[in-house]
Amino acid sequence: MLSSTSKEFYQEYEVFSKRTDTAAMQYQFSLLAPNEELALVFAQENFMRREPVVDIWVVKRSQMRKMTPDERQSLPRLDNKDYRNTKGYGYLKKKWRQYEQDMLDEKEILSWGGKINK
Amino acid sequence: MNQSGSTEQEKYELFMNRIKAGEKIEADDWMPEEYRKVLIKLISMHGISEIMGALPEKEWVPKAPSLKRKLGIMAKVQDEMGHGQLLLRVTEDLMKPLGRTREDIMNDLFTGDLKFHNVFHMEAPTWGDAGLIGWLVDGAAIITQTNMLGASYGPYARALKRICAEEVFHAQHGEAIIMALAEGTEEQKAMVQDAVNRWWEPLLMFFGPGDAKALGTSKQDITAKYGIRTKSNEELRQDFFTKYVPRILSLGLTIPDSTMHYSKEAEQWIYQQPDWAEFKKIVQNKGPKSQERLRLRKLSYENNEWVRKALSPAIDAG
Amino acid sequence: MTEQLSDKSKQALINLLYQLADDDFILAFRGSEWLGLAPHIEEDVAYSSINQDTMGHAAMFYKLLEDLGEGDVDELSHARKSTLRKNAVMLELANGPGHYLKEPNYDWAFTVVRNYYYSQAKKVKIDSLKQSSYKPLADAAVKVSMELYYHLLHWTVWFKQLIQAGGEAKEKMINAIKKAEADFGDVLSLGPLAEDIVQSGFIESETVLTQAFHKRMDPVFQGLSIPYSGRFQQINGKGRYGEHTEELVQALDTINEVYKINPKAVW
Repeated sequence: MLSSTSKEFYQEYEVFSKRTDTAAMQYQFSLLAPNEELALVFAQENFMRREPVVDIWVVKRSQMRKMTPDERQSLPRLDNKDYRNTKGYGYLKKKWRQYEQDMLDEKEILSWGGKINK
Repeated sequence: MNQSGSTEQEKYELFMNRIKAGEKIEADDWMPEEYRKVLIKLISMHGISEIMGALPEKEWVPKAPSLKRKLGIMAKVQDEMGHGQLLLRVTEDLMKPLGRTREDIMNDLFTGDLKFHNVFHMEAPTWGDAGLIGWLVDGAAIITQTNMLGASYGPYARALKRICAEEVFHAQHGEAIIMALAEGTEEQKAMVQDAVNRWWEPLLMFFGPGDAKALGTSKQDITAKYGIRTKSNEELRQDFFTKYVPRILSLGLTIPDSTMHYSKEAEQWIYQQPDWAEFKKIVQNKGPKSQERLRLRKLSYENNEWVRKALSPAIDAG
Repeated sequence: MTEQLSDKSKQALINLLYQLADDDFILAFRGSEWLGLAPHIEEDVAYSSINQDTMGHAAMFYKLLEDLGEGDVDELSHARKSTLRKNAVMLELANGPGHYLKEPNYDWAFTVVRNYYYSQAKKVKIDSLKQSSYKPLADAAVKVSMELYYHLLHWTVWFKQLIQAGGEAKEKMINAIKKAEADFGDVLSLGPLAEDIVQSGFIESETVLTQAFHKRMDPVFQGLSIPYSGRFQQINGKGRYGEHTEELVQALDTINEVYKINPKAVW
């Protein structure tokens, strides 16, 4: 039998990484390590040895407050919230046409970061 | 919908409905004990087979005949260890409610309670074996693993997705070695043919017996019921023949089974059954290399015990 | 570029490239023997990446030799006898008693120390090589430097943690440090053509490199509250002069076991 004294070596860490500077952090997988320094050292080559990566986070699993299966029941919602989305305001397109104007939709507005055509 | 408030029977029905609806089960979801047990058995065996499977190919890592081949096979065996890591993590999360950890998995391997795939008990005496393992053993593994990509257990399906993506590289790595040998000198050609001859029976065994009769028990029905796998052992073996027999023959190699052919009437490959009694013996750690490989794994575990002890409990080092 | 080199300079350059290539090659080989046997599965995967990187660096240096007309990279890495090898002896020593296929009683403490010392020395050398007068070598150094960062990070964490753990682990590490230092002199040596190598501006002198090395190591040892001797020997031979151990001879037998079946064949 193996001794049980090394049980503490196996701490669970969750690994997150970012593919590019503009990408969001993404969950990768979990690994076992005795502490966060080694967890970080292991993370890179265990999960991202074939893909570009610009940043890595490791989080001890016991430090994460995850939802329980019951709590996840709180996530679904009714499909009656059009007023929160542009979907609820689609009729404006027609209205603006009466005033001979284009609708400022999502595509148009998000393009304003660049040069605005006069 | 409240899971904790319902009876066992209601929970079970809800669970089966989720599987039928194609939903994924997660580690902390309620699950029938039978489901947990079959998953632990399946995935721990899959995981430890990756770890033990690194050993026959690893024999050829330091010996590979060029810089490029040394690098390629190093990366390939590294992936096997990596697959073992992914699968053991999936198993460990399933075992957690039972109070079991990676140490228990290793102990089970050493006591013989946890088995590993028959192919990894076999000898790999030449460089031809290094190529053949990558080409056909990984080919067989790709067939069985892709069959479970849609598994109802989410963590396993996600691990398999990572694994299968890397298996594509493994298959090509194996093909490259085999192709160079098959197009090489007479000695090199003989090396591949010899490897095919020795590996043919273990490859057939890899998919497991066709029905419960061969070994007396079968997990096939349970895994199908829970949406873990869809095809039977025999269907997978037939898929393997369809994909690989023409390729093996196209390289001028022969298959050591004179009865092997595709029957149009029966719409299946006809072949000589391997010796299933021998299979049973092999997976009980009585194969040609079983004890030697277990010894390597055990030695590494024991010799490095001091490292794990030293770093437990966690220290905060900068 | 090589046309401008005097014969003397070219010989010095070739000698230096053999040192660099052989060092990385043999250490990566020793690392590859560990595959599947590391103290932890996650570490097995991480360590293998370092070995692949290191063998990749060796391949770059062998390629520079091939470009100088020394022969093809596989011949250079696989076919040369031990007496022609220029690697430091510390890097060729076995990982521990036993064979990688039979009773490998490998020593993780020695592996950590050897790799940590070597990574630190390689960092010093690569930084100097970035200014090498031989442009292809300077370019290679810039590339190698990119991957070296992770190697140093990895081995530094292991080195520090196993010493800080105290007890048996610290004891094993101190012994491993003694063992590594007994042959480390070789690693910082530039060999018989040192003078020509330095005069041609391929790399800085042994003295400069050694001082830079001490400067990196001294604070680490201070931080760990253990004495830093700063004195290295070459008790098992001078690798840069072609003096090697039986352990290298055995390693080469493994390395070229398949290659030598038919060196002309395509594998």
